[in-house]
Order: sequence, then structure tokens, then C-alpha cells
Amino acid sequence: MKINTLAEKEVLQSLVTSESGLAENEARRRLSEFGPNEISEARKAPLIARFLKQFTHFLAVVLWLAALLSFLSEYLHPGEGMLTLGLAITAVIIINAVFTFMQEYRAEKALEALKKLLPFQVKVLREGAEKEIHARDIVPGDIIMLVEGDKIPADARLIESSGLKVNHASLTGESEPQLRNHGPFPGEFMESPNIAFAGTTVVSGSGRAVAFATGMRTEFGRIAHLTSAVEAGLSPLQKEIVRATRVVAAIAGVVGLFFFALGFVIGRSFWDNFIFAVGITVALIPEGMLPTVTLSLSMGSQRMARRKALIKTLSSVETLGSVTVICTDKTGTLTQNNMTATRIWANGTIIDMRDASSGNARDIMKIAYLCNNARFADGHYRGDPTETALLRAARETLGDMPAERLFEIPFDADRKMMTTIHAFSGTRQAFTKGALEKLLPLCSQIMISGAILPLAPALHEQILSAYHALMDGGLRVLAFASKDINDRELPDARAEEIEKDMVFLGLIGLEDPPRPEVPEAIGKCHGAGIRIIMITGDGSRTASAIAREIGLVRGDPRTIEGPAFNQMNDRELREKLSEKEIIFARMTPKHKMRVVSLLKEMGEVVAVTGDGVNDAPALKKADIGIAMGISGTDVAKEASDMILLDDNFATIVNAVEEGRTVYENIKKFITYIFASNIPEAVPYLAYILLRIPLPLTILQILAVDLGTDMLPALALGSEKPTPGVMKQPPRRLTDRLLSVPLILRAYLFLGPLEAAACMFGFFWVLHEGGWLWGTALPATNILYQQATTACLSAIIITQIANVFACRSSRESVFSLGFFSNKLIFAGIAVEIVLQLLIVYTDWGNAIFATAPIPLRVWIILMPFTLALLAAEELRKKASRVIFRTQA
Amino acid sequence: MYKKILSAINEHFNSEVAARYALHLSKASGAKFYTCFIAGKTDPRSSFDKAEAAMKRLFVLAEKIGVPAESITETGDPVAEIRRIAVHENIDLVFASTRREDAERRFFSGTIARSLSLKIPCSVALVRVVHTGRIHPSDVLVPLKARIGRIQEWASFISVMATAFNAKVHVFHVTKPITKFFHGDIHLTPVEWEKRIPPDMADFLDRLKKHGVIYESKLTPGAIGRSITIEAAARRHDLIIMGASERSLLSSLFSRNPVENVLRETPCDLIILKPRHED
Repeated sequence: MKINTLAEKEVLQSLVTSESGLAENEARRRLSEFGPNEISEARKAPLIARFLKQFTHFLAVVLWLAALLSFLSEYLHPGEGMLTLGLAITAVIIINAVFTFMQEYRAEKALEALKKLLPFQVKVLREGAEKEIHARDIVPGDIIMLVEGDKIPADARLIESSGLKVNHASLTGESEPQLRNHGPFPGEFMESPNIAFAGTTVVSGSGRAVAFATGMRTEFGRIAHLTSAVEAGLSPLQKEIVRATRVVAAIAGVVGLFFFALGFVIGRSFWDNFIFAVGITVALIPEGMLPTVTLSLSMGSQRMARRKALIKTLSSVETLGSVTVICTDKTGTLTQNNMTATRIWANGTIIDMRDASSGNARDIMKIAYLCNNARFADGHYRGDPTETALLRAARETLGDMPAERLFEIPFDADRKMMTTIHAFSGTRQAFTKGALEKLLPLCSQIMISGAILPLAPALHEQILSAYHALMDGGLRVLAFASKDINDRELPDARAEEIEKDMVFLGLIGLEDPPRPEVPEAIGKCHGAGIRIIMITGDGSRTASAIAREIGLVRGDPRTIEGPAFNQMNDRELREKLSEKEIIFARMTPKHKMRVVSLLKEMGEVVAVTGDGVNDAPALKKADIGIAMGISGTDVAKEASDMILLDDNFATIVNAVEEGRTVYENIKKFITYIFASNIPEAVPYLAYILLRIPLPLTILQILAVDLGTDMLPALALGSEKPTPGVMKQPPRRLTDRLLSVPLILRAYLFLGPLEAAACMFGFFWVLHEGGWLWGTALPATNILYQQATTACLSAIIITQIANVFACRSSRESVFSLGFFSNKLIFAGIAVEIVLQLLIVYTDWGNAIFATAPIPLRVWIILMPFTLALLAAEELRKKASRVIFRTQA
Repeated sequence: MYKKILSAINEHFNSEVAARYALHLSKASGAKFYTCFIAGKTDPRSSFDKAEAAMKRLFVLAEKIGVPAESITETGDPVAEIRRIAVHENIDLVFASTRREDAERRFFSGTIARSLSLKIPCSVALVRVVHTGRIHPSDVLVPLKARIGRIQEWASFISVMATAFNAKVHVFHVTKPITKFFHGDIHLTPVEWEKRIPPDMADFLDRLKKHGVIYESKLTPGAIGRSITIEAAARRHDLIIMGASERSLLSSLFSRNPVENVLRETPCDLIILKPRHED
């Protein structure tokens, strides 16, 4: 039993209040107990804690450890450059933390947008006197005075009403004002006409209502609570980055410890071993990976913006590529939201709207014109799209028809019909239009060819088959009826008296054509293994017909209507949701969050569209919440991850394509970055195993990881979508970013080729300089510095070949179009300039302990670049052949 | 199980709403219903009048639904007096409403609610009233811990509440996500989660079945307090019934106390039960 079921007197008793309102001291007491009537954010960790968290996740802890070891090494064994290393690692941690925090932190603007929908001042009755008080001071039991234009401050039960109409658009998305009354209502609480909900607006009439829920306990507060408390969790990419960093840290740690122990075994000193262990660990940690991923996502979001998809959170860029299910609205997203009346059923036949100017069809058009709240003014039709379409059709068929409207029984979501009464030269007529299932039971007669006949079962069947035929054509169908009214029946007539024994006239079918780009976009989704679930307020036949027309379904889809949905438990719904083709019809936005939650529980990556205030929780819950840029409310936009600037479904599919490309590109540049870890690590192995001078210093490693590698890696992040990207199924949750093939290719193929080049360069310079095996060289020795410079330069120039190799793991770089990614050339140019600065400037030499090398050293290293590219082409060719054979 | 149920009344409206729950529970369990008002020595006359009026209304309601009722008015320290009445009258269950400041103070420290739950020798149900429009709860959310103490009383209480209001029960268990070092969070489907149902919860569901209660059950990973309030808000439950926290002060300090979180953010009325009947 809820408050809507009680009579007015019982309502007052239940809330221990009276018709004259609460006493001031009781209101104060209740305010202290129930708290202020305001929207507040669900409690979250303080901002500072969220910022500090960026310094304590796993990768950060590993880097902190490395920095601490570096500082300790510098303190105990100065002069090895460990201080600079420690500072560089600390800088990496701070930059990563600030980058990530800026991405994760978003001011909670959705709640701010919600708060704007509540009033500041309200009129209440207290101690018998009308008072204007601050809305936050409303308490349960307060009598709220409602007049036209008022925003309702709290959920309240009407105890008095006079023609009160409330617009629920802010709460339910329903734009048509709802007539309210104050009698008990035995049905659903949310559908009850005697409840006035917080955040809605009084359109006309007046009334009094008793507040029974305030602040966060109102329906509006419930939406606010869900919007601020619900979190989608880590994005698939964020999860993958966590996994990847753990794998890399483990590899680096184990390798470091292994060689530290090996050094002891072969008799090296503790400090030599220690510096070596730190060095090899640093070499294997890709410090530049996170900033590169972030920048790559940022570039992806810019590309999406150019395709009319505005991304609000960077991680969403890749999440889009992982989407397995898109839950989409129909009207305005799949269709044009451009309603047109196209077909009419009268006299037992369906005819085209152009032929509707005579006979019964003319009478139907008259109702369509008069029983209508849309207007034609200044050359434009204004009003609800369905009513506008009817008015346009009627005007085009019959011209203007002025008539005095005496009375109106407004449309509401429960009745699903409206009635108007008009005066015509001495007679009065009631005109009704609405849903057939509501209107037909109220009709006892039917007009056929001007004659009024009893509505016999056969005719009843005929109407139903016409209704089904129109809906099967994807049309939204409205029924029309009329009745002569006696003077006695006005003005105190009740809706039930007027809307009975009516004469059924016919049906009109309205078409909302699909957007032209949608069928192709849906075809792409099917090819890409993405399921599309339509969630619409339309009836199931209309929804199915549209779905069939746009290629969304092929066979007989499972359709679930709102009332059945409400009756199903989670287990039943999950079973239905696992079916291939499913449509939700006669649904309201409040159902969306449950659909999204269940799909997520089933392991799907879900994108959902929404535009209304009560779509906000579902938009927050989904992996990707997509708000409509044109028709969406501010609340929906603030709660979403992506805004469609053109409200078009095809734009979602374009964004998915970009998202998939971004993931592929991330894999490309991770291969590129990881490959350079091997030539960074091998010199350390040689140093300890071969007892040679260290071929590559720690700072030179950082010059590659955080300097020269960055821009070419970013250029790989901007590769265009490959033709096959939307022809493969969504990435499985078990697929790893750091997959075994990727690691093998980077660490055991590309990396060793680069390592061979860098060791060759190092030894060649030493050999040319007359170095003899076993001779120790101090760090300041010019020959030694030239040799390490050659080693570093070898990495840089083989990475130039590597960037081309990494553009695809299987396709030849020449088949991709060698010059098709211009950014790669820009990245390489910057890479070369940086290396020249490091090698040929005094400050570069001072910081990185390098020395200028002659041109012949570069020339001698060139063949390694070509060899790497050739080896990769051969590997790709073999890979393609194996793939084809297996296929 | 409950033969005598006492509800503490004060000058606040929410104590009357809490007593209505107690009254309907009395009706369903065939118990005698007691109301008591303990006036503080410095309380103004208006408080006394308010509480007296509430007790009268409850008395009338009890008569109307055929529950034997008795009202007691005393002066003194509320906790000591309620304890004395509970012992003297052999009360099985005491209902008391929580105050808003209870929800705002950590660990209810220094509140009457905390004192009642600690010092009363019988079972205690603390009621937080936040929504006065859902008069008879038809959907009750019952979040359960993995280990349930006094399971028999728990099952009885939920069954009688479900009978009293003809309500559907949604048993809910929030568990820690399953993680592996190199894998991160492991995603399990609802069916897989159901296989991990804690033994006490399975026992509890069996008992509900024996009592003929219609229920649904759900296991979900996440933060306990937040998951409960989200579930209650998303599914529009009318009432949450959960156990009192058994976390120590220290563990509550370091890891948040879920009961406190729910008390603060509950979207519907909340009953926190501290059962004391031995199984």
C-alpha cells in the first residue's frame, strides 16, 4: 500500500498533518529529522585522496621503488648519474599522475543540472496561513500550494485539484502535460495521477498537495542518487593497462633480480651489481607508455569530434571499440523524428492520405484537425511531432477549420487518448483520438459510408486486422471516434461519461522514416559482431516493422513490452537478453538502467543512448553513455561519456570504428616501444657477462623512452582505420593488450635485431679507436662516449625502420601505402633532430654523456635499418601465408 | 518467536512511523504491542503532548487491526527506562527510530540508538524513516553478510515482516570482486556468482522457503554500502532490513562501515536488526 491508494483524509492522518498544514515548530522538528529538501551528491572519496591515489597504484609503486633505489645509489655511490635517473623517474610518476587525474576528474555537473530543475521558493500552508518559504525547508506533511507555472519542490500527494496539468518532461521525457486529480488511485505508484513529483512543472490549473518525500528520497532525488553513485568501473583499456604494467613490472623485477644474483655468482662487486640491476629494470620499464597512450586517445577523440561524436572522457575512446551491445532509442536516433501521416483506414479500406478528402476519411481528418493541440503559426507547425503531423495532414486535405472548443479531456500516459468538445451551429460534438486498445472498448458503433452501424464482432475483427496491417508497415497508428453531446452532459461531465458509446470512425497511420544512413550503419554493426537492442516507447508491431525495414532484425525478433518487462525477474530477463534479436517496446527511460545492468552482469560491454533526465542513471551505468546533442537535456549530456552532435545512430557506428582503430594503434605503438627495450637491456647483459664497459648509460635509455620514441609512437597512434576493422567480432574480454604474439614479436624478433645493431655500433667504434678487450674505460673517456653514442644512435635509426614495420602486424608496409601516414615522417624528423642535438651539441653531450660521432658511423649502421625492414617484410609474408593456409 | 513487541515513542513523527512497522509486525506474529514514552526531566510540555498524541493514534490503530496494545509513560533516562521495561515486561523485541544525527555521527557514538542496541537485553530493531509515502512496503531488500549470526531469528523476522506487509523479499549479498595479480578483476556471470553463494545465505534462503516467503536472491561484487543503496534506488525497494554492524571500532575507522553508509544514503526506510534470540 502506498500513499496514492489512500483517500485524502487518510493521507493527512498517515502523515500526521491537517488541511491547515503543519505548525511551525513541528515543521522545524521534521526538518531536523528528515533534513533539507535538496539534491546532494553521494559521498565520495575527497579530491585530494583521489589525486594521491594516482601515486599509489601498482606501476607508480614500482617506479617509486626504482626512484628510491636510484637516490640510495647516488647517496652511497655518487657519480654514476643515479640522481638524474631518480629525478627523471620521479618526474615520470608526477606527469603520469597529473595526466591520469585530469582525465578521471570531472566536476559532477550532472547534479548541478538536476538542481536547476527544482524551485527556490514555494508556497505552503502552515498553521492555516499561506506562506512563501525556501524550497529546502519543505518537510513531509507540508501542504504545498500549486498554481500554473510552479515547479514542484517535493514528491507530494494531491488532496485538492482543479484542472491541474503537470508537465513530466523533466522526469519521464513525456512532453504532453498530464492531467492530475486528487482521488485515490489503486494502480502503480509511478503512474498515479494523484501524485505530483519533484522537478515537474504545473502547466495549468491549481491544487494542494501534501509532501511525503523530500530531497534525495524523491523520485528526482533517486535519479540524482543513481547518477552520482553509479560508476561504470574501469574501462577495458584501463584494465588492460593495469594488467600490462603488472606483467612488465614482474618481467623487469625478475630479470633485475636474476642478473643481480648472477653478478654475485660471477664475482662482480655489490655496487656494480646494484647499478646494473637498477639499470636493467629501468630499461625494461616502458616509462613513456602511459603518456603515449593518453596522447593517442586524445588524438582519437579529436578525430571522433570531426565525425560529430564529442568524447567527454578519454578512456571512452577505446571503450567504444570494445562495445558488444548498443542499446538505442528509436525515434530521432534510428528514425528522423519527422512524423508524417501517410495512410488512413476508413470504410473498411486502407487508402493513401492524399485520397482522404471525402466520406468517412474527411470526418477522421476533421477530428485530426480539431482534437489537436499543435498550432500552425507564422508558417510553422508547433507542438508534439505526432500532433503536428496530424494537423499538417488535415490542413493540407481540408484547409483551415475554425471551431469553438468548449472542453478538453487531456491526453495522459495512462489513458493514452484525448477528447475535445466543440460547438457547431447548434450542435456539440466530442472528438476523441488515441491508442486503439484504449479507444475501441469505448465505442459501441461504427460509421461506414456515412451510415452508423452497431460495432459487430466481425467489424471489430476488421478494425484489428487493419490496425495490424498498418503497424506491420512500421506506422504508428491512432484511432479516431466521435459522439454527439447533449447540453446536459456539460459542463460537469466526467471523462467516463463523455468517452462512452462513441462512434468509431477509423485509423490513421503515421510514418517516421528511418535515417538514410542507418541501414548501412546497422549492416556494419552486424559485420562487426555488435548486437543492437532497440528500446522504444512504440508498440511491438511498429517497432518490429521499423526494425525489419532498417535491417536491425531478420527473422521474428523477441519483443518484450514494458508491462511484461516489469513482471520478469532478473533470471528471466537475462535469458531473453541472451537471444540474438530482441526489441523492447512500450518502454520508458526508467527501464533502461535495468537492461544495461543485466547486460553488464552478463559480461557485455554496453553503449546506451539517452536524452531525458531519467536516462541519466543508465547513461552513467553503461560502459558508454551516449547523449543526444540536439534533443538531449543538460542532465543527460552531463551524465554521458559521449555526445552525438547530430543525434544520428550512424555516428555511433563511426565512433565505434574509430575506437577499434585506436585499440589497434595502441597495440602498434606498444610493439614499437617494447621492441626498443631489448637493445636497451642487452648492453647491460653484455656489460655483466662479457665484462666490457657499459655500452648504454641509464640516461641514454631515458633519452629513447621519454624522448625520441614518443613522437613516432604517437604517429602510429594516428593510423587510419583498416578496411577489416569493422569486419571482425568485438575484442573478447580475455584478449590481452600484451598478447603472447605481441611480446614474442617485440622481444624475440624486432628487439634482438635492434640489439645486434647497437652492440655492433658500440664495438665498431671501440675497435676503430684501438680498444683492446678487457681494457677498462673511464666514463669521461672520449672513445667510450663515442662508442655509447654509436650504440644509442643504432637504436634510434633501427627504430626508424621499426616504426614502419609496426604499422601493421601482418600487412606489408608497401601495401598500406608508404606515405599514407604523414605524421610518421614528422615523428621521424623530430626523432632525428633530437638525436642530432644529443650527439652534436655541448649541452646534449653534457647531459647524456655522449660525444660527436663521424658520418661513417651512421653509414655503417644504415644496413641494420634496411635489414630490420626486410626481415619484417619476410616475417609478415610468412605470417600471411600461414594465416591463409589455416583459413 | 516474538510475543511482546515494544516501540519507543518520542515527540518526533518518525518514531510514530517506526512504531507502525512494529504494530504490523505484532499483528503478523500475534504479539502484544507496547508503546512507551520516556520523558526527560527537562523536556518541554509540547514534547509530552506530541508523544501522548502519537501513542493515542497508535492505540486506535492497534484496536482497529485487532492487536492487543499497552502504553507506558515514564520519566528518566530513556535507555535505562526502556531497558527496565524490557526486562520487567519480558519484551522480545524493541523498535526505536533513529535520529538524523545518528546517521551523521560515525559509529553512532554517543547516540541513543547505539546505547539501545548495546544495552537492551532483547532483540532491537532500529528504524530510519526517510520516505513516508510507502506506507506498506511491498518490496523488501534484505542485504546479508556472508556469515549470519542468529540465523533462525533473522529468517523469522524477515518472514513475519513479509507476511505482515504481503511483501516480496529480495535477498542481496555483496561480495568482494575476485581478482588475480596478472589478470585484475575476474568477471563472473550471475550464474557463476550464484554458485558461490555463502553457506549461511543458502541456509537462510532455505528457511525463507520453509516459511513460504516469495523471494529473489542476488550476489554481486562491489562496495557493500554503496551497492546496497544503488540496488534499493534502482529497483525502487520500499524497505531495507539489514543486520547491525559487527565491525570493531578500529576496522570501521580504516575500512568504512557499510551500515553507516546505508544509514546515511538509504533511499527508502531502513530497519537495522540486532537479533538476540539464540538459534
